[in-house]
Amino acid sequence: MSRLYKTLVLFALLALFVPSAVLAQDDTVIDFYFPSATANDAEGIFQRYADTFQERNPGITVNPVFTGSYTDTRNTILTELQGGGAGPDVAVMLSIDLYSFAEEGYIIPAQGFIDAMADGDAYINDFFPALMANGVDEEGNVWSIPFQRSTPILYYNADLLAEAGYDSPPINNAELVEIAQALTTNDRAGLLVPVAGGFPIWMYQSFAIAYGRNIVSDDPTEVYFNSPEAVAAVEFVRSLGTDLGVGPAGGAAWGDTPVAFLAGQAAMIYHTTGNLSRILDGADFEVGVWYLPSGPAGEDSTGYGSPTGGGNLYIFDDGSKSEAELEAIWKWVLFLSSPEIQADWGATTGYIASNAAAWETEPLASRALAYPQYGVARDQLQFADKEFSSYATITIQGIINKTLESILTGESEDAQAAMDAAQGQIDGILAEYK
Amino acid sequence: MRASLPRKPLVSLLQPYLLIAPTLILVLMFNVVPAVKTVTDSLHKPARGLNAAGKPSEYVGLQNFDDLFDEEHYMGARFLRTFRNTIVFALATVAIGVPLGLLLALLLNHSQPLLGLWRFAVFYPSLLPLIGAASIWSFIFSDSIGLANAVLKSLGHPGLNWLGDRNLVLLSVIIVNIWKQAGYFMIFFLAGLQNIPRDIYESASLDGASDLQQFAALTLPLLRRTLLFVIVISFIFAFQTVEQLQALGEGGPNDSANLLLYLIFQNISERRNWGYVNAMTIVLIGVVLTFTISNFLFFERDENN
Repeated sequence: MSRLYKTLVLFALLALFVPSAVLAQDDTVIDFYFPSATANDAEGIFQRYADTFQERNPGITVNPVFTGSYTDTRNTILTELQGGGAGPDVAVMLSIDLYSFAEEGYIIPAQGFIDAMADGDAYINDFFPALMANGVDEEGNVWSIPFQRSTPILYYNADLLAEAGYDSPPINNAELVEIAQALTTNDRAGLLVPVAGGFPIWMYQSFAIAYGRNIVSDDPTEVYFNSPEAVAAVEFVRSLGTDLGVGPAGGAAWGDTPVAFLAGQAAMIYHTTGNLSRILDGADFEVGVWYLPSGPAGEDSTGYGSPTGGGNLYIFDDGSKSEAELEAIWKWVLFLSSPEIQADWGATTGYIASNAAAWETEPLASRALAYPQYGVARDQLQFADKEFSSYATITIQGIINKTLESILTGESEDAQAAMDAAQGQIDGILAEYK
Repeated sequence: MRASLPRKPLVSLLQPYLLIAPTLILVLMFNVVPAVKTVTDSLHKPARGLNAAGKPSEYVGLQNFDDLFDEEHYMGARFLRTFRNTIVFALATVAIGVPLGLLLALLLNHSQPLLGLWRFAVFYPSLLPLIGAASIWSFIFSDSIGLANAVLKSLGHPGLNWLGDRNLVLLSVIIVNIWKQAGYFMIFFLAGLQNIPRDIYESASLDGASDLQQFAALTLPLLRRTLLFVIVISFIFAFQTVEQLQALGEGGPNDSANLLLYLIFQNISERRNWGYVNAMTIVLIGVVLTFTISNFLFFERDENN
């Protein structure tokens, strides 16, 4: 009994001393939250980055926390902060989350840190301009730094296309439909576009841009969801599953699409570049990758285009953080956005390394040489446009997603009427910000 | 001891309050205060626009409720559709799940070979964590690799888009819910059945009552309290459904299978919708309370007659 008692006392004492021993080192601790949207070992990779960073920066401890999907991550952070908790110091969140968090006053712009750098301009100008579009406010202040960015891209089964006599991928909607119809069989879809399942807006934006007009601009108080281009785009997507019959009615599900492609059940798919490595490694046929086909918007390349997507690095501060803490936080952001890490992250995952220098850095440089598909994703950025983002992003994105779902599943036959109604609701909300 | 005697009345006056204080404080903190806040927040619109975090909310009376019942409003459209779904879901669960639980209990109330195994087989879905069970079903319902479609295809049917077809998703969620709960309800009915004395059945048999007559005249009336309890909890469970939806299509295309509590959950993250979230919570509680109270009144009155 007395031994047990002694043991308990010993443990109690240890419990008292352990935290203070850790604190005694006086480390600056950075809580870093990250989501994962693809099947990669993000936890292992970030721990490796954190270890490297800590070796080079004694006195700073990085605590990487995996927080689920993008939505889970946003909800986790909002719940913590709204409940008075500390929240993260740095987090990877969707590049379009900017206004949601800026409205609440939870994040601070990166612009101040960039201005304080000796070579701040060189640092920021090395990022691909399309990837900066969602991280900058209407006054040109940089808020968030591109980290794991992606665009939708066309994947095609080059073997199947060659069998059918096509030696190059489609470059516009007419060719897309022609090839898709030629390759559709009873147990194979000619083209899968993942617009089913709650989040059609991103893929849909590809078509809106291809038809000549994005649904957003630089002004976060304007959304153009009922323009003729926007309506034509959704009608085209719907027709893929109905009149044209090259895929399932209502579109394919996000997760099923690459699986079907790898299994030979789909000849072409629209999907994120974030899955590029997984698809290249998993395919037993020649995988072709090309720009999303241009719509009817113009001749040759004028209708090319895709939205950007993926996550940026955000810095959290409600004004209570010390100079030393902020300095450590910015060091971590610089580290993650450095060509060194971007090259590693891009080669491991397929996310588009977000600065030009990363493409000349190993291991990405040789990977891109061995697989020219990586370069296609990068080169498509010259045509890429802003991902949907506005004030009240979550609510408005919800309205757009629900409307697209109702049109794509055939519930709303009259696309124009449904989109007019949605535009009315959106304008009502955005009026509060003008 | 004597000196402290005069104080005794005060101590004994305070003693009961001291004894219930821990409970009282917990109830106040976690029940009363949030409930009051829900009511007041449902009458306010949160500050919107830039730097809204520091600004006070605005009193709007019943405007939030008006918006919820306005089909043209962005939240109203979702709420009304979801509300209708929830009623359908609750009625289907009660109308199919409760009789099914009773039927299973009647079947498994007789001694038969492997009785324990049968009972376990029927009861085990209730042991599974909800989200795990729903994830299993999301595989079963999967379009291309799912068991449900594999069976349909072997029968010559082209297969159904269980979680993608707006007309099917709610049915899929109802199927999972009934599968999950029927065995749970069965346990209550089994307990109820075992409380009914055997000899009344024997005398009924001697009087020439058929099995069906015995069920209608004896079993059902004597199970009334159990039945009331099961109906009430199954109705309340139906209104509390969240986890299944997370795994089974997240409310379906355009909310075609969304349910009230999940809609509330989906809208918590954006500040501008907090007024609606609270108003929806009040509607939800109102419906459940009305149903429960009227059920008790109805059954109790019957009992007293």
